[in-house]
Amino acid sequence: MERIDIRTQRAKLENINALPTAPGTFKRISQVIGKPGITLSEISEFVSKDPALTTKVLKMINSAIYGFPGRISSVSHAIMLLGLNVVKGLLLGISVFEIMQQLMGGLWDHSVGCAAVARAIAEKKGIKDPEEVSVAGLLHDIGKVIMVMEYAPLYEEAINQAASRRVPIFDAEREVFQETHAVVGMWLAEKWRFPPNLVDVIQYHHRPGLTKKAPLETAIVHFSDLLVRARGFGFSGDSLVPAVHPPSFELLALSEDDILEVLDKLEACRDEEGGLTL
Amino acid sequence: MKRIVVVSQDPLLTTLADRLLSPHFRTLVLGGMVSAVDSIYNDIPDLVIAEIAPGDGGMGESINTLKEDPMFNQLPILAVIGDRPPAAFWEGLLVEDYLLKADLERDLLARVRLALSRAERVVEINPLTRLPGNISINRQLEDRLSRGEVFAFAYADLDFFKPFNDKYGFSRGDEVIKVTGRLILNFVKSMQPRGSFVGHIGGDDFVFIMDAGLIEGACGEIIRAFDQIIPTLYDQEDRDKGGVESVSRQGVAGFFPFIGISIGVTDTAGRGFSHFGELTGAASEMKHFAKKAKGSSYSMDRRTGQAT
Repeated sequence: MERIDIRTQRAKLENINALPTAPGTFKRISQVIGKPGITLSEISEFVSKDPALTTKVLKMINSAIYGFPGRISSVSHAIMLLGLNVVKGLLLGISVFEIMQQLMGGLWDHSVGCAAVARAIAEKKGIKDPEEVSVAGLLHDIGKVIMVMEYAPLYEEAINQAASRRVPIFDAEREVFQETHAVVGMWLAEKWRFPPNLVDVIQYHHRPGLTKKAPLETAIVHFSDLLVRARGFGFSGDSLVPAVHPPSFELLALSEDDILEVLDKLEACRDEEGGLTL
Repeated sequence: MKRIVVVSQDPLLTTLADRLLSPHFRTLVLGGMVSAVDSIYNDIPDLVIAEIAPGDGGMGESINTLKEDPMFNQLPILAVIGDRPPAAFWEGLLVEDYLLKADLERDLLARVRLALSRAERVVEINPLTRLPGNISINRQLEDRLSRGEVFAFAYADLDFFKPFNDKYGFSRGDEVIKVTGRLILNFVKSMQPRGSFVGHIGGDDFVFIMDAGLIEGACGEIIRAFDQIIPTLYDQEDRDKGGVESVSRQGVAGFFPFIGISIGVTDTAGRGFSHFGELTGAASEMKHFAKKAKGSSYSMDRRTGQAT
C-alpha cells in the first residue's frame, strides 16, 4: 500500500487558493450573477449552499486587503462588505471539479446536509448568529476536498481501506497520509485567515473535547456530522456512523423531539438540493 | 520586487512583455480577464498591462468593474492596443495610459516605470478606508451646489465607539471604521451606482451624497447591516452581554451597549444652501437628532425654506 506523509506537504498545500465547485453549482453561477436586479441576499443564499463559493467569499473578506482579517464568519456579512461587483468577480473565477465527481458530489451533499442540520440545532440552542454555525457545518470537511484534489489515487486507497476493513475514514486517512482531513482543513483555514472559531470547528469536529475557543459550535457540528451520516445523506468517505462524544451530547442537551425536528430540516434540504451537485 | 500582471491572448505580446519585464519585476502572464481578476483579488499587483483588442468590449467592461471599487481604484492599468483608436474609444475607459503594440519593444519598460512612480504619488484618500477625504468632499459639495444640482447629503458617525476603542485597543477600533466605510460604500453604490458619492471625513465621521428619493432607503439598509455585523466584532463574552464595561468620552465609567450608527440627512430641494458649510451644518444638526434616539437611527431634515 502506498503512503505519504502529508505533513511534509503543508507548505505546498497552503498555496492552494480556491476549491473547485460542483458541476451543478458551476452551471448556475452565470445564471445567478447575470440575473438583472439580483439582491445581496439572493446571492448570499446561493453562495451559502456551496463549500467552494463560501470558502472563496470568506477568504476574500478576511484577507489583508480589507483590513479585518479573521473577523467575518458569515456569508451574508461577507457579501454585504464585499459588494456585488467583487462577489460577481469572485464567482466568475471559480472552477469545477473534474476528478472523482461521484465522491465529490457525495461530499458536497454531506456538507450541505451538515450546514442545514447545524443551523437547525444552533437555532434550537438560541445561538445569536446561527449562520456562523451553518458555515462551520458547510466547511468542516474542506480538508477532504483538498486531499482528493491533490492526491486522488491515494484518497481512493484510503476509502477502499476504510470500506474493506470497516474502519472510519478518519483512521484510514491517518494510515495513508499520517494525518487527517481535520488537520489539513485547519492548515488551509488558518492560512486563509478564517475566524478562530471556524478554524477550531474544522480542526476538532471529530474530537470536540479538544476545542478551547468554540465548544458549543464544535459540539453542534460534530453531532450534525453524525446525524447526517446516520441518515445516509451524501457520502463523506465511509459508511460508518461514528460514536457520539458524550460530553458534547450533554452540552447540547437535545430532547428526542428536538432531534426529530432537526432531521425534518435535513429531509427538506434533500428535496430542495436535488440538482445542485451533479 | 514590484508585481506586474500582463493580460493578453497574443503570444507575441506576452513573450515580449515577459522578456522585457521579468529581469526587473515579478511578472505574471494571464490569458483572460476572468482569471486575471481572480488573481488580482488574491493579491493586488502594482500594475496591470492589458491588451484591448478592437471590438472587445468585454475587456474594457471588466477593467471598469474592477476599477470602480475603491480598493482597486489606485491600481494603475496600462492598455496595449494595435492601432490608434478613435478618440471616443477612451471615453469612460478607466485606464491610466496606453501603448501601441508597434512601440512595445522600444517603450514598454519606460512606460511601466512611469506608471509605477505615478501611482506612488500621494492621492487624497483616507488610508484606513481608502475613501476620499475632506478636500474631495468639499469639492463635491461645492461643484454640485454651484451647478444647482438637487441632491441629498448624509452625515454619519458612531455612538459608543470610544468605549469599544478603549477596551479593545485602536487596531480593533480601526476594524470597526473599515467595516463602517465598506458598508456605507456598498449600500450607497448598490442602490445608486451613478452620481452618488461616499467620503470619510476622518475618525468615525462619514458622509454620502445620493438622490433625495434613494437616500432614506440606503440609510435603512446601512443601519440594518451595521447592527447585524457590529456585534460580531466584540469578544464572545461581551457579545453575549450586549456591550462592554469601559469609559465614555466624558470619562465616565460604566456599561456601554453595542456601537450604533447615527445618520443625519438634509437635501437641497426646497432649501437654498448657498455655501456647503450651511449644508454640512444642517446635516450635522440632523445627526444630533438621530443621536438622541436609542441605538442606530437616521433623521431626515423635513424643513423647507431658506437656511439661516
